[in-house]
Amino acid sequence: MKEIRKTAEYIQNLLNESKVDKYAFALHEKETREFNADLGDFSLFRTVFGNNAAVTVYNDNKMGTKAGNDFSDEALKTTVDEAVLSAKSAVEDPAYDIAEKQPSEVFHYGCYEPDIEKFFSRVEELLSDIKAQYPKVKILNVFASHTKDHALYMNSNGTDFEDFGGSYSVSIEFSGNDGEKTTGLDYADVTTANLDKPFIDLGSFRVHLESAQNQLNLTSFEGKFEGTVLFTPDCFAQFVAYTLNNYVSSSVILDGTSLWLDKIGQQVADPRITISMNSSDPRIVEGETYTADGYRTQDVDIIKDGVLKNHLIGLYLANKTGRPVTKNTSSDIVIAPGNDSYADIVASIDRGLLVGGFSGGQPGTNGEFSGVAKNSYYIENGQIKGAVSETMINGNLGDMLKNVKAISKEVVCDGSMVIPYVAVNGIVISSK
Amino acid sequence: MLTDILESKKALFADGVQTILRGQENRSRSVGFLKGNLVRNLRAETRGINARVCKNGVYGFASMAEYSSAAADSVIAEATRNALFLDSHAPKNKPMATSYGHGIVPTGRNIIDFEQKRIIDACKKIDDHIAKTYPDLTSRMVMYSEDSMDKVIYTSDAHDGHITSPRCYIYVFLNSITKDGVPIELFKAFGGAGSFEDHFKDVEWMYKDIDALYKMLMDKKEGVYAQAGYKTVVLGGELSGMLAHEAVGHTVEADLVMGGSVASKLLNQKVASDLVSMVDYAHTALGKEAPLPVYMDDEGTKAEDALLIENGILKGYMHNRESADHYGVKPLGNARGWAFSDEPLIRMRNTAVLPGKDRLEDMIASVDDGYYLLSTGNGQADLTGEFMFGINMGYEIKNGKLGRAILDTTVTGVAFDMLKTVDMVSDNVLWSSSGFCGKKQPMPVGLGGPQLRCKIMIGGR
Repeated sequence: MKEIRKTAEYIQNLLNESKVDKYAFALHEKETREFNADLGDFSLFRTVFGNNAAVTVYNDNKMGTKAGNDFSDEALKTTVDEAVLSAKSAVEDPAYDIAEKQPSEVFHYGCYEPDIEKFFSRVEELLSDIKAQYPKVKILNVFASHTKDHALYMNSNGTDFEDFGGSYSVSIEFSGNDGEKTTGLDYADVTTANLDKPFIDLGSFRVHLESAQNQLNLTSFEGKFEGTVLFTPDCFAQFVAYTLNNYVSSSVILDGTSLWLDKIGQQVADPRITISMNSSDPRIVEGETYTADGYRTQDVDIIKDGVLKNHLIGLYLANKTGRPVTKNTSSDIVIAPGNDSYADIVASIDRGLLVGGFSGGQPGTNGEFSGVAKNSYYIENGQIKGAVSETMINGNLGDMLKNVKAISKEVVCDGSMVIPYVAVNGIVISSK
Repeated sequence: MLTDILESKKALFADGVQTILRGQENRSRSVGFLKGNLVRNLRAETRGINARVCKNGVYGFASMAEYSSAAADSVIAEATRNALFLDSHAPKNKPMATSYGHGIVPTGRNIIDFEQKRIIDACKKIDDHIAKTYPDLTSRMVMYSEDSMDKVIYTSDAHDGHITSPRCYIYVFLNSITKDGVPIELFKAFGGAGSFEDHFKDVEWMYKDIDALYKMLMDKKEGVYAQAGYKTVVLGGELSGMLAHEAVGHTVEADLVMGGSVASKLLNQKVASDLVSMVDYAHTALGKEAPLPVYMDDEGTKAEDALLIENGILKGYMHNRESADHYGVKPLGNARGWAFSDEPLIRMRNTAVLPGKDRLEDMIASVDDGYYLLSTGNGQADLTGEFMFGINMGYEIKNGKLGRAILDTTVTGVAFDMLKTVDMVSDNVLWSSSGFCGKKQPMPVGLGGPQLRCKIMIGGR
């Protein structure tokens, strides 16, 4: 197999020969090693050798992209030719562009070469720890993988970024099961750069496993009421993703349907809310190093002290709207912790739910959401009374961020996000 | 399409293990116009070879992003090493899965490529039509998406074949705003199995349906929030298909059954009203080619229909070869992988509730106070059969007549409780096939069903 730099030179020569106005391309050479365990026992060991080349061509104010994974000379020539042809077929738009030249950099992060024997032992230990410490948890699947990624990004303005990254990630699917009853499925995952600690002590594994056992003890309430919902960090991350998609993503800014279109600099959330994309945070294992447009990634606040600071504006959208580029295209979300302990927050809730998961339709552009509260518990007079099933929550994403009751000082860090527990008032909670 | 370079590699399959060698290419074409702006213009192919080797009940798998003779040699060797690693570190000592015979499964339809310009021009034509015909929309999107799988499969003790499955769709999204300033959206997918020209040689045939979509959007513009609670509803065919896939289908996939799904203790028991029957079709459904036909799976099993529920009784699960042996039944071709780098998992194919004898008009007329729920954006379910579907179009039913449209909401229930409330089933089936099912890997699936009258929890204010 050709060395990735040689592959890059070959593509660069083809693109230079094609006389297009501008181009950018990204190459990835990946190796993944993955252990799968079904029902608590190892079942499969998988090795994946993968490549990817994505070439984008800009010519006569037109843009086209071709991607493929075959690094043979013949296939790479086809990739370049088809990118040129795709651009030729496109419609003209002077907004298509690439970032100006950035200083060349080589990035090293995570753990590039795996220790497979030690990794296997840690996964074996995780299976054994779960069986011993959480006897009422039934493991459906464990997917434990190490991926190393050697990547290159280059463009016709002279930018040259090279990445050597690698990490271990473990994902588990499980349910509470006491032989008679089974709870709904729960999931937890973590990404880490080293094998120093047992996996069970990382991220929110213990919280989820404990919760799966507690889900066997059901309680119920009737009817509907407006109450407080305390979101676990994993679940709040889902709502943050909905919020970013609905209010600040490029598509809703471009088509003008965002309700926060003209709210930069305005208060859109409780002053305790700060949501950032901090790719350089050391708790994020594989933070973004450069953006899709070819900018060196910067840490960016989306909401700072409740004030909207940035939309997610790529270069195309910036050129289209005259708004500044947001130099971060990651999902490296960091939410500032609060001052209250998780226990104090629970104790302060008169009536509501602790919600560990949400199964709902994608909220509409108005931010209205409704769905099933999964892995959730009924709270009354400051006490968790028991797990609930067939319970729905309804609310509005924008209102939620304004109606924050409390934010925990504890945060969960799973290697890709850093998020606290967040309690929100004014959610409609209904049961059968 | 792939050239078969793998047949001779069967000579490399080791004795005493089960080996599958699969060469695969996934192709995608994508074009997107957002409010007249070309925001997506992409062509992509990934191809490679994988091998899966089973030794004493544990599997080694390896794949390489290269479709060549040398890559085939490498993945067979690496998969064998991986199987030996697991057999020595975590032995299972299980016998090999039962063989159900050899043979060759013939190739299905050809995968035909078209110039990107034709795709862009088709999307632009639709976008121009929408912009001109419906100037009051706040936004619109026209998106073409094509994905195809081309697989050459050789097995040590099952069927071999060259399997193709192309599909392509144009999605149309229309946006408006209610009188209260609430943004609303509706979408519709056009297309199905086949290549660009099978569906979009001409696009004007879509205009009638786009007009119907626009009219529904205008109804939704005057829409109200649903009243939360346990209601009598008529589920549209799209919803009953989603029910068949999400709420029942996943709970009867054998890997989830073994994981303790609600269906694990209900085989041959009553799980639905007598009016409900459900099948996971392989390649032919209700006398026609199924929306996404599957003739052979990635373990070399010839595909046959899997009967799931018959007249309300749970009759069977969906299997791979290993789980079929565990339950003492024959596998029916449900083991499939998405990309060349993916191992086969138990997946649905074309899962449907079977039609009944009722007419939709009678079903609506029979509801005093409820909802007619027409379309869904997404759905999820879990081991307990508890499901959730997002509803993006529906109407109130008051005194047997359709009333105001409703704004986006969600419905939920527990499948085997809710299915017992089904008391009317319409005489037609609506199929959809544009989505992906997510289960570690994505997978194109077909789902379908008639209208169902039942009781369900609906979210709202």
